[in-house]
Amino acid sequence: MQLFSALLIAGLAISAASFIYTLYSIFWNAVKIPEKPYRIKASIGRRAYITIRNVLLQGKLFKERSGGIMHALMFWGFIAFGAYSATFFARGIDPSFQLIPPGEIKNVIFLTVDVFALVVLIDVFYAFLRRWVIKIPRYQGYNGFEAAFILFLIATLMITYYALGILRIDGVSRNIPGAIMESIPSSYTPVTVFFAGLFPKATGPLSVDLYWTLYTIHALDFLIFLVYIPRSKHLHLVAAPLNVILSKDRQPAQLSTIDFDHETRFGATDIRDFSWKDYLDFYSCTECGRCTFNCPAYLTGKTLSPRDIIWDLREVVLAEGPELRSKGMDHKDQILKPVIGDTISETDLWSCTTCMACVEQCPVMIDHVDKIVNMRRSLVLNQGKAPKGTLETYNNMEMYGSPWVADPSTRGDWAKDLGVNILSESGNDDFEILYWVGCVSSYDRRNQEIAKSVVKILQKAGIKFAILGSEEKCTGDPAKRTGNEYLAENLARVNIDTLNKHKVHRVITGCPHCFNSLKNDYSEMGFKAEVIHHTEFINQLISSGKISIAATQNDKEEKFTYHDSCYLGRYNKIYEPPREIIGHVSDNYEEMSMNKSKGLCCGAGGGRLWMDETVGTKISHKRIGMASDINASTVVTACPYCMIMLDDARRVTGLEDKMKLSDISEFVASRLTD
Amino acid sequence: MQYIDGGSVGYNIAVLIKVIPDLEQIKAASGTGQIQIEKVPLRLDILSEHAIEAAVQLKEKYGGKVTGFIFGNNESIPLMKKAYAMGVDEGLVITGYKENNPTLTASVISEKLKSLQFDIIVLGNQSADTYTGLLPGMIASKINARLIGNVLSIEIEGKEVKARKSLEKKIEVVKAQMPVVISVTQETNQPRLPPVMQIMAAGRKTIQSEEYKGQTPSYTLTKSRVAPKSERKKQIFEKPEDGIQAVVRVIKEEAR
Repeated sequence: MQLFSALLIAGLAISAASFIYTLYSIFWNAVKIPEKPYRIKASIGRRAYITIRNVLLQGKLFKERSGGIMHALMFWGFIAFGAYSATFFARGIDPSFQLIPPGEIKNVIFLTVDVFALVVLIDVFYAFLRRWVIKIPRYQGYNGFEAAFILFLIATLMITYYALGILRIDGVSRNIPGAIMESIPSSYTPVTVFFAGLFPKATGPLSVDLYWTLYTIHALDFLIFLVYIPRSKHLHLVAAPLNVILSKDRQPAQLSTIDFDHETRFGATDIRDFSWKDYLDFYSCTECGRCTFNCPAYLTGKTLSPRDIIWDLREVVLAEGPELRSKGMDHKDQILKPVIGDTISETDLWSCTTCMACVEQCPVMIDHVDKIVNMRRSLVLNQGKAPKGTLETYNNMEMYGSPWVADPSTRGDWAKDLGVNILSESGNDDFEILYWVGCVSSYDRRNQEIAKSVVKILQKAGIKFAILGSEEKCTGDPAKRTGNEYLAENLARVNIDTLNKHKVHRVITGCPHCFNSLKNDYSEMGFKAEVIHHTEFINQLISSGKISIAATQNDKEEKFTYHDSCYLGRYNKIYEPPREIIGHVSDNYEEMSMNKSKGLCCGAGGGRLWMDETVGTKISHKRIGMASDINASTVVTACPYCMIMLDDARRVTGLEDKMKLSDISEFVASRLTD
Repeated sequence: MQYIDGGSVGYNIAVLIKVIPDLEQIKAASGTGQIQIEKVPLRLDILSEHAIEAAVQLKEKYGGKVTGFIFGNNESIPLMKKAYAMGVDEGLVITGYKENNPTLTASVISEKLKSLQFDIIVLGNQSADTYTGLLPGMIASKINARLIGNVLSIEIEGKEVKARKSLEKKIEVVKAQMPVVISVTQETNQPRLPPVMQIMAAGRKTIQSEEYKGQTPSYTLTKSRVAPKSERKKQIFEKPEDGIQAVVRVIKEEAR
C-alpha cells in the first residue's frame, strides 16, 4: 500500500507542479506585460456583495435561465464534491488521516456530495444535449473538443465515485486501508444505495481488483483535470472568481482615463496597452457567447463579435507572452504586434454601438466595451484614423460645439418664444434647476419637440428653470465613445466651467447620452451636481402631484410599448420610471422581445449615429420590427438618438401610418390636465 | 532635391494657408441685411487644410521640410498650431492683412518665397471666403515657377513633379521641373485628424510672425455688404406620396 501512496504523492506533485507552473506563466503575463493602470476602489462592502452574488450565487448566469441553472448546479456540485476529493487524496496518502472527524457534520457533508454527484452527472448529460443535440447556436463552432473532454472528465469522476460507493456498500472496501466514507451510514448516501440496488452484489478477489482499478481511474481523472484546467478555457475556474472580486465596483464601469500629460501611447495598440485586469478578463472568458448573442451588431449581420475580441486578445497574450518571457522585456518593440488589423479588424471596432449588452450579459464581468473604445483610441489619438463621418463630427464639435454643422449662436432659438430663461442672453442666474437640452433637441427639428415638451411640463409644474442657450456645448459623448478622449476632455472642461460659472446644482436633461456624461463622466472631473434624467424627474412630478396626466380619447385604441435607451437603462439602470408614466395612462402595454437589461440598441450609440451602416440589416430596422411584431401603435422612447434612428426606421420600413413614435416628455406634455 | 537642416535629403516645401471667418457663423443683421463678420470665429480655410495635407504627404513620402505661410493679422497667429499639428514643421505669420487684395497678397508672399528657395509650393485653388482663384497663377508668375493647378495626385522624381489633374471629361497627367506651384481641390485628399501627440507638440512650438507695414492699395471699393434677399415659399408637404407629386409639379411649373 505504501507503493500506492508513493504513486499518489508523485502524481499529485506532478499535476500540482504543472498546474502551478502554467498558472505562473499565465499570471506572469498579466503582471509583467501590461503597462496601463487599473483603478480599483476599495469599497469592500460592495465588493463582497458582488462576489457573493456573482460567484457564490452565480447571479449573472441566470440572465439566461436554462444555461444558468445548468452552470450553477455544476458549480455548487463541484464545491460539494471538493470535500470528497480532498478526503480521497488525504487518506490515499495517509490512510489514518481524518480530514473531517466522523460525526453528524461529516455525514451531512457527504450526503450533499452524494446528492450533488447525481446532479452533476445529469447536468453533464444536459450540457451534452445542449451542445450536440439541441445545438444551441451560441456554442456552435467554438472549442467543441475542449468541452467534450472536460465533460468526459467530469462524468468519469462522478461515475467512479458512485462505482466506488457501490463497492463500499457491498463491503468490498471495508478492510482496505485509506478507503473513505466507511464511517458514513448508508442512509446518508441514498443515491449510491439506489445504484447499488441495480447491480448484483460484488464479492470475491476480483471485486478488490475492481476497486483499485476504479480508484486509479478516479485519481488519474482528477490529476488530468488539474493539469488541463489552466491550459484550456477552464482556466476560468481560477480566473473568473478573481475577476469578479476585483471588478470595478459599478457596472457598466466608466471608461478608463488617459493622463495626457504623462502618457505617450494612447489607447490600446498592442497587448502592453491593457491593464492587468484586462488580462484577467481575457483569462476569465469561456467563450460562452452570451455577449455575442446579445450584441446588436452581431444580431444584424455584422462581423463584430465581442466574444471573438476577448478570445483573440487572449490568444495574442498567450502567444506573445512566452516569447517575451524567454527573450526579455527589452524586446517588447520587436515581439509585440499591433492587435488592430490582423487580429481585430477596424471594421469590427467601428461596428460597436457601446450599448453594453455584452457587458451586461457576461457572467464573469468582462468589460468588452472598454477594450473596444481603447482600441478606437489607438486609431484616433495616435493615427488620426476614424470613419469619415466621425472625422467630420470631430471638426464640428471643435468648431460649433455640436456634432453637426450648426451655428452655436442659434442653439437656444427653439426656446425664444416660450418664455424660457436663456442664460446666454439673460445672464439671470436666479433658477433652481438647469435644463440641459443637448445638441439633438437644440438643432434637430423633430427633436426640438422633446425640448418644447419638457419646457411645457416644467412650466406647468411651476419650476424655476433655465437653459444655457449658446453657452451649452456638446458634452463630448460622441467623441469619447469613438475614442477621441482628447476632444471629449476639452469639451467637458469648457462645459464644467460654464456650469460652475452659473452655480448649477441640479441638472435635468432629456438626452441619456448627456445624462451619462454629466452624471458619471463629469463627476469624475470634479463637477458636483445632482443630475436627473427627464424620465425620472417627470415621474417624480406626477407622483408628487405637481402635474397630473390623463388618457386622451384616442388612448383607448392605442397599444403602447417602451424602447429602452442603452445609456439610460444598462448604463444607469433606469428602467421603471418611463413604464410607470405610461402605466398612469394605459393598461394596454406590452414589452418588445428584447427589453430592459436585454434591450436592443437603436444603433446610434458609440458615435454610430454619424457613421454609415451598410452591412447586414440596420439595427434600427430590427428594433422597429420588434415593435411591429407586437402590433404596438405607439413606441415611447426617452432618448433623442433613439428618436432619430427609430423614426427613420419607421418611415423606411413603411410603418409610418401604423406606428407613432413619442418621447416620454411628449407623451406627458400632450396629456397634461389642469 | 537639396540638403536642408544640415544634412537630411529632401524637398523644401511651402504651404500657403489662409485664415478666414467661419462662414457657417456669419449672420446678416435682421432688417438691414448687413453682414456681420466681426465676432465670427476664425478658422483655416478648408482648401488650405487640403493644401497642408498634400504638402505633409509629400514630405512623408519623399522627405524634406514643410514651411507654412499665413498672411493675416494677430488673430491668425494661433491658427498656425493646427497646421503644426497636421505636420507642418515651421510657420511664419505675416500680419498686417487688411482686406481682400490678391495682387498684394501674392507679392507679399512671393517676397518671402523667393528668398527661401522652395522646390514645391502648395496652396488651395481658391478660398472659401473670396473665391478669386487668382493666387496660384499670380504667385507662380512672380517667383518664376511652373504652375500645376487643380491636381488630384502628385508624384516626384528627382527635380521633376508629375501630377494628375481632373478635367471635365478626362484625366490629364502633367510633368514640370521644380520649382512648382501646385493648387489643390477638395478632391485631392482628405485632411487628417492630427494625432494627439502632434497636437500637444504643436502647442509648445513657436510661431514666427512679422508685420507687413506697406500700403494696402484698394483697386475696388466695397460700397455695401448685404445678404441677398431670398423669398422662400415655405410650402411643406407632409405626406410623401402627395409631396413627391407636388414637388414635381412645382419644379415643372415654377423652377424652370
